[in-house]
Amino acid sequence: MAMHGMRGLSVFISDIRNCQNKEQERLRVDKELGNVRTRFKNEKGLTPYEKKKYVWKMLYIYMLGYDVDFGHMEAVSLISAPKYPEKQVGYIVTSCLLNENHDFLRVAINSVRNDIIGRNETFQCLALTMVGNIGGREFAESLAPDVQKLLLSSSCRPLVRKKAALCLLRLFRKNPDVVNVDGWADRMAQLLDERDLGVLTSSMSLLVALVSNNHEAYWTCLPKCVKILERLARNQDVPQEYTYYGIPSPWLQVKTMRALQYFPSIEDPNTRRTLFEVLQRILMGTDVVKNVNKNNASHAVLFEALALVMHLDAEKEMMSQCVALLGKFVAVREPNIRYLGLENMTRMLMVTDVQEVIKRHQVQIIASLKDPDISIRRRALDLLYGMCDVTNAKDIVEELLQYLSSADFAMREELSLKAAILAEKFAPDLSWYVDVILQLIDKAGDFISDDIWFRVVQFVINNDDLQPYAAAKVKEYLHKPAVHETMVKVSAYILGEYSHLLARRPGCSPKEIFSILHEKLPTVSTTTIPILLSAYAKILMHTQPPDQELQNQIWAIFTKYESCIDAEIQQRAVEYFALSRKGAALMDILAEMPKFPERQSSLIKKAEDAEVDTAEQSAIKLRAQQQTSNALVVTDQRPANGAPPPVPVGQLSLVKVPSMITTEDNGTLSKVDPQPPSADLLGDLLGPLAIEGPPGATVPSEHNAVSGLEGAAEAVDGSAIVPVEVETNTVKPIGNIAERFHALCLKDSGVLYEDPYIQIGIKAEWRAHHGRLVLFLGNKNTAPLISVQALILPPGHLKMELSLVPETIPPRAQVQCPLEVVNLRPSRDVAVLDYSYKFGANMVNVKLRLPATLNKFLQPIPVSAEEFFPQWRSLSGPPLKLQEVVRGVRPMPLSEMANLLNSFRLMISPGLDPNPNNLVVCTTFYSENTHAILCLVRIETDPADRTQLRMTLASGDPTLTFELKEFIKEQLVSIPMVPRAPAAAPPAPPAAQLTPQIPANDPAALLAGLL
Amino acid sequence: MIKAVMVMNTQGKPRLAKFYEYLPVEKQQELIRRVFAVLCGRAENVSNFIEAESIFGPDSRLVYKHFATLYFVFVFDSSENELAVLDLIQVFVETLDKCFKNVCELDIVFNYSKIHTILDEIIFGGQVLETSSAEVMKAVEEISKLEAASNAITLIPKSASGWRSR
Repeated sequence: MAMHGMRGLSVFISDIRNCQNKEQERLRVDKELGNVRTRFKNEKGLTPYEKKKYVWKMLYIYMLGYDVDFGHMEAVSLISAPKYPEKQVGYIVTSCLLNENHDFLRVAINSVRNDIIGRNETFQCLALTMVGNIGGREFAESLAPDVQKLLLSSSCRPLVRKKAALCLLRLFRKNPDVVNVDGWADRMAQLLDERDLGVLTSSMSLLVALVSNNHEAYWTCLPKCVKILERLARNQDVPQEYTYYGIPSPWLQVKTMRALQYFPSIEDPNTRRTLFEVLQRILMGTDVVKNVNKNNASHAVLFEALALVMHLDAEKEMMSQCVALLGKFVAVREPNIRYLGLENMTRMLMVTDVQEVIKRHQVQIIASLKDPDISIRRRALDLLYGMCDVTNAKDIVEELLQYLSSADFAMREELSLKAAILAEKFAPDLSWYVDVILQLIDKAGDFISDDIWFRVVQFVINNDDLQPYAAAKVKEYLHKPAVHETMVKVSAYILGEYSHLLARRPGCSPKEIFSILHEKLPTVSTTTIPILLSAYAKILMHTQPPDQELQNQIWAIFTKYESCIDAEIQQRAVEYFALSRKGAALMDILAEMPKFPERQSSLIKKAEDAEVDTAEQSAIKLRAQQQTSNALVVTDQRPANGAPPPVPVGQLSLVKVPSMITTEDNGTLSKVDPQPPSADLLGDLLGPLAIEGPPGATVPSEHNAVSGLEGAAEAVDGSAIVPVEVETNTVKPIGNIAERFHALCLKDSGVLYEDPYIQIGIKAEWRAHHGRLVLFLGNKNTAPLISVQALILPPGHLKMELSLVPETIPPRAQVQCPLEVVNLRPSRDVAVLDYSYKFGANMVNVKLRLPATLNKFLQPIPVSAEEFFPQWRSLSGPPLKLQEVVRGVRPMPLSEMANLLNSFRLMISPGLDPNPNNLVVCTTFYSENTHAILCLVRIETDPADRTQLRMTLASGDPTLTFELKEFIKEQLVSIPMVPRAPAAAPPAPPAAQLTPQIPANDPAALLAGLL
Repeated sequence: MIKAVMVMNTQGKPRLAKFYEYLPVEKQQELIRRVFAVLCGRAENVSNFIEAESIFGPDSRLVYKHFATLYFVFVFDSSENELAVLDLIQVFVETLDKCFKNVCELDIVFNYSKIHTILDEIIFGGQVLETSSAEVMKAVEEISKLEAASNAITLIPKSASGWRSR
């Protein structure tokens, strides 16, 4: 085969290969880059061949990982060269080195367009390839119609047309709002009649993109797709070169079936029957053969057919056929097929009635957990996790435990978390659950997060029957030669509370228990020592009759730690020592921990949050709804002794030491109020046994604990005129809504809101007082979102028109809703999107601020001194010119402030103010009433005190001057609390207001956030 | 869509890297390194899949094929069928084989520009363009001819580069 014949390039590559080390390579590369740079500078003397050679060297260097930051302009300008070789080089380099936002691309648009509409097919191909690789917005705006023409042109060769199809696809995917596909349904239908398989394959990819966006418009394509599938899979009517290992173009078959999965159902009985015949043929007619490539190809088609059958929710018979096939796959030797078999079986779990059938393959699946291939082991773990329920939990969890000792490092954390969750969710009895968690800690202590051991302690505390069992169990583990620190923590906690229940058993005297625990003290870190100290205090208290020797031993330890450098340890040592000398009073203080209120497992919650919508996740959720083990109920809403109901957060009623002193003074053991369940698990477990919990530490953390949801609401500052709230049953947003909003105030595209079901993205364009926002509503799930409603609550100064929002968003689909905005007059008020949808039984309603803020209607403008000063002087005094000293400014360096202002399109004009501590800002504001108004701002800062500044604003409109002043102030002041909405939420417990379903005093919510 | 195509040797040296979504060069190198770190630990006769989300972010899949001293790696999202992408690697390699007659690593090293041309005829902007290696060969040969023709011309006069002063 002919080489490309670039000797210089070969020599260079040889040189690089001969480099002994990275340093030499770098030197050689630098030399070459220097050379190329000089040659390019003096471009006149370069022949096209040389240009090509240098450019390929640049690309080679780029691939090696060196930045090539020059020659871009040269590359782009080569595009307009008249001859092929230079043009080719220009296009190739441009598509490799530049991204869609590169300014140089703009320069090339005209040349690219000329090549596309020109008659030279080679040039057309080059241009299409580059545009398709980059897919920039400006390309889309100016080239999409021409590319469409090429695709439909009957005079073009297939080579050009298939590229045009994919080029259009790329432009559409990247800029769906720019590429107009109205009326394309007929053309697509026409394209599907194409005989050339290359063009047909590309067109099918294009169809997939179009139907995924809007399937309704393309229903006429559906029967055509079925026909194509029939032609390929049944009639095998394919030119020889498109038969791959005897399979008629597997790619086209796969793409066609993918397109069909975007249609919710197939109404026409004839089409449906034909399709099912073909699918049946694929399902039955595929066998595992010797040739690996043939297997891959035939099974690519088969797995796609399976997915299509699942999607169409076919008749029972066909579904069970699918499960049977998958059952076969999980047992075959061919690793790829086994891998996909496991993966698809996990997906299949979503179809409820097949679980029983899948369970029959449990042995095989467990065997895959020991496969030499980690990829397969991962899939097997996912599947086992998904298929676990009360009936098989014991077997599966025990397998997982067994596997844990030999599992890869990379998988242990996931494995132990999954085992812990399953054990909790489906435990047949409590002692088994305790066994499992202790084994987990023993085998994989490093991977056991705190929540796992907190949870087991909670169960033990809440279930009296379990306490002696757990105490005996942990004691056994302590006898082992090497004990993980987490095991020491659990043991210390449980033995402290309950070892007295074992006192009659051999080897379980307080002294013995104390000495096993104390043996561990030298090996543990400072976070564990406080738990040990608490345990000692409890053991001491439970020792009846008192044991003088033990007491001396423990007191000696307390005394030793009285001067410990760790404040927590020191405090406990001092307090326990003092308390234990008070005798009987100790009994009350160190009484058993009260029961925990029932709460959702933070573990399970965390798993749900983390995995959002993966198949196995949905599967386990589904199962959990159907059946949950009754064994594990963290019961007892209130402590047995009739304590008052839980008090709201923030009033953590901790028994204070002074009150203890009074009881003692009275000489009677007056009843100390039993503590209501504390809201804070960490406080419960790690706090010094409820004697004056560390409020300093817990209270703020509770605040943070108010998880994402409330956190978001909390951050909603007073500047929102409409209190924005999120009402949900169980659906929690992902990420912080307020942060997302603030980010979108500064940029024009991004995610406005996300929860497990939906993602709302936004893309905006602003021109003078007009704005065009596009809301992208993306359904993240495999089930449709229904009753979708979106309402815009515009403030008085904005005219907003939202195009129709479809009532249903199909699975995995994204719909776009353009929103036109006209700014009538200056105001800082913000529009709100009131959005609701239903998913399954969940009704979700969200109110979101839309980032159509004042700054979006600004246009930065550079102003010279000659323009500035006359304007500044002519606007004299209120109300056109306002001055204010702003205090409480978030301290930041001047440059940062300048950046901040610039990002709000308030352009800093340097050099206008001689004082370097001052900033002068110019911008133009656009609204329908005011048209364009120049705004001038001067900010005088005090280098000695960065928290205050003086701001002077001037514009030709009094309202604008005021609103802009307030707007800038909001951005600069640290806590943007604006007294404009006095009725808006006081900082009172936000949780209570926002989520009626999760009361603020629900420790579960706090706990969840905390963990 | 296909997000990236990488060819690297069993020492982890990149031989071809093409990303269909723009990434800065350091990021590209990091991804190549991380993929290699996983691949080099894998035995023969295991599946062609590795977990990609920890490297490439959510909704990423990866298939690879190991031929002699080279790994061919394709990264893509859930809109593609895994085995079909694996077939595509095979088509790519078979085309290289036809082009270079028993392709080996050195062919790929020294015919860097040709490999690009071939890949561009198979994958276009992250989508499958052509799956018949015969068709790919046809297109590539056409381009070779054009290049050869123009190279021949440039050998004659050296002063023809005046087009820029138009």
